[in-house]
Parts: sequence; C-alpha cells; structure tokens
Amino acid sequence: MPSVIVFIPGPLRPYCAGRAELPVDADTVGEALEVLEQSQPALYRNVCDETGAVRRHLNVFVNTDNVRDLDGVRTALRQGDVVTILPAVSGG
Amino acid sequence: MFGGIGPEGQRRLGQAHVVCLGCGALGSVAANTLARAGIGRLTIVDRDVVEESNLQRQVLFDEDDVRDALPKAVAAERRLRRVNSQIDVRGLVADAHHANIEALIAGADLVIDGADNFETRFLLNDACVKHGIPWIYGACIGSYGLSMVVIPGETPCLRCVVEGAPPPGLTPTCDTSGVIGPVVNMIASIQCAEALKLLTGQAHLVNRDMVTVDVWDARVQRMKVHALRDLGACPCCSHRRFEHLAAEHASQTTTLCGRNSVQISFPDDHTIDFDAVSARLAAVGRVQRNAFLLRCAIDTYDVTVFRDGRAIVEGTREPSVARSVYAKYIGI
Repeated sequence: MPSVIVFIPGPLRPYCAGRAELPVDADTVGEALEVLEQSQPALYRNVCDETGAVRRHLNVFVNTDNVRDLDGVRTALRQGDVVTILPAVSGG
Repeated sequence: MFGGIGPEGQRRLGQAHVVCLGCGALGSVAANTLARAGIGRLTIVDRDVVEESNLQRQVLFDEDDVRDALPKAVAAERRLRRVNSQIDVRGLVADAHHANIEALIAGADLVIDGADNFETRFLLNDACVKHGIPWIYGACIGSYGLSMVVIPGETPCLRCVVEGAPPPGLTPTCDTSGVIGPVVNMIASIQCAEALKLLTGQAHLVNRDMVTVDVWDARVQRMKVHALRDLGACPCCSHRRFEHLAAEHASQTTTLCGRNSVQISFPDDHTIDFDAVSARLAAVGRVQRNAFLLRCAIDTYDVTVFRDGRAIVEGTREPSVARSVYAKYIGI
C-alpha cells in the first residue's frame, strides 16, 4: 500500500493538533480519507459531510491535480504522492 | 517603464474601468495598487465603516478615519484622490445584494473581489458570468489565502471550483483566527498583477490555476482547476442558471467577518429620517451622527444605521438578536 502525505493548509490545522502533514498509507484518496476518519475525526468532520462526501467548499488535489478531474475519491495513489485538502475561505 | 505593460498598455489602463467590490483588507490594498497603476476609472463599493481594528491591515485608512466614523468607500475615495488626481475614483457606500449587484458592476472591464463572505462572492460570480465581465477571486484567513481569475467563457467560474458555501459555523473566520497583513498584501497583489494583464489585453498571460499562499509556511502553490469547466456540471457557467442573482429573498442578515457584529439590510429602497430616529434614540443612548450614518450605544450593543436603512449591530453574532435590537430601537 503506497505511503502518501496528506497536506493540511493552515485553516484546517486547528482540527489536527496543528499538524501540516499527515503520513497515511492508502491505495486511493477515499481510503486516505477513511484513515483520517479514524485518526483525525475532528479534521474528517470538517472535510467530509455526514454522508461521507467531500464538503462543497473544499477541493482535494493529488499533487497539483484536482481529483474531480481524475476519478474523484477513487483516484489511485502512488508512493510519495501529496494529497492536499484545500478549503475555500471567506475573509477579505 | 515595465516592458510587460509598455506605453500602449499604460494607455489601455488609463481607459479601463475597474470595480473593487469590498474595500476591507484585500480591497484597500488592491484599490491602492490599481490607483497608482493609473486605472482610469476606479469604483470602490463598500458597506462598512472604518474601525480601529481595521488599521492593522487595511492600508487605505488611518486613525482620523476611525475618529470621524467614515464609511470605507468615502475614506478610500478621499485618500486615492490625493494619491492620483489624474484618475476618476468613486466610492459607493452600498451593500451588494441580488437586486443591485448587476448595476454596481455595469460597464466594468473587470471586478476585483474584496468581499468578506461567500454569499457576496457567489453573487458576484453569477453577475460577472451573466454579463461576461472578468473578475478575480481573492480570500484570506490567518496567514493563508487564495486567488483565482475568472474569465467567463474561458476559465472555470467560482462555482465550478467551489461548489457551495460551508455550513454556518464550520469554517474559521476573522473572528476566530484573525488575519495578518502580509497574506492580504500577497493575495491582493496577485489579484492586481492578473488584473494588469487582462486590462492590457494580455489574457493569454493570465494564470489559470488556483494560487494558494501561506506566508507563515512561506509556501506558494499553484493548483490545477482549469479542467473543471469541461465537466459541464456547473449550474452557473455551464447551464447559465444564476441562482444567487435570482434569489427571491436576499439574506437580510450577515454576520460580519472579524467582528462581533451582524448587518441587517433590505433589498428595497429606503431612506431613513435621521432627525426622527436620532430623537427617539437619544432617550435610550448616546447618539453620534454625520452625513452618512447615525450611531447609538444601546445596552451592550452599538448600532450604526445608514441612510438606506441598513444597520450594523455590534455586540452580537446572532442574527435574531440583531433583528430584535433593530426592530426594537430603529423599527422595521
């Protein structure tokens, strides 16, 4: 199973003890999110809604590619990939 | 002169009309930059009043503006007229909503997003896509910010990328996280650089990726979003359903970013009789007023009322409490 890094931008770090990078072993983006559901439940609740879908104000990227352009949460991961969870924010 | 603009580019900038929608942190940096760049006509729209807590990042304002309780649009116009007397700068004290957004951006060559909430941005997105006006998204929180250029018909629109606003209370706000000047300056500068390319007829040079910045991490990233438009699923730019513009009932209350305040606004036109209102309020609290607004301290709230009936109730983040204060002391 590939080892990847989930990168957490600043606005989401309060939900994972301030950590910027979470190492995860997962074959797909969806599996990586399932790992977070167990290991970082507060973060997971901010990323996914009650149905398990990625919330609408967030985008998930594998390296720099949006998973919605790929296979969504079924997008396969390779060793060393960086999964970035990118929230839109509202301040201005 | 910078070769990327050149004399012809500078001439084009002098003929351009840019609207800055919102003149808080991002908007004040952007308006300042664009005025100095020689944008011929600059319209600055903002609903708010300068407050002391703004000065840490909102570069157009100073302590005099706070003391005089000036609307930001007015303070920005005055300042920028002194910066560049050769351009036409107009400040509009107004709250953008579904009934006026199209009028506010009419005739603009480009709109800079300086808003502080998702609702206004989705509204702006609808209006700009409908009328084919490019706009540049920018947003910040903490040390983190995002920017993306929307060129209707060419690039993904905001709703292609951000499908919806988060549920209330889910995401950090300026209230909970603060925002620091460096990231504001970075994001607004990125917005302005892309604006200069577009306004000088160089759309081919525009960055089509989402840019993210975290100045505390010293990290800048470009994330690909351009293919999202090709999915054809966007209600706004694929199907031209402008749901935010068509809202039958505009949101009448907005919790304001960075402060313990709620705004109450009305889509229909109103004109407040300041004499009558201030006479009533004098019985319950100290009233301060100028040509633009009336302010009164009532119990634990500070209520600021504008000529059009819009009010900012400071001292609560609960819309229902704010509505109650408004109804009780101003009258709906």
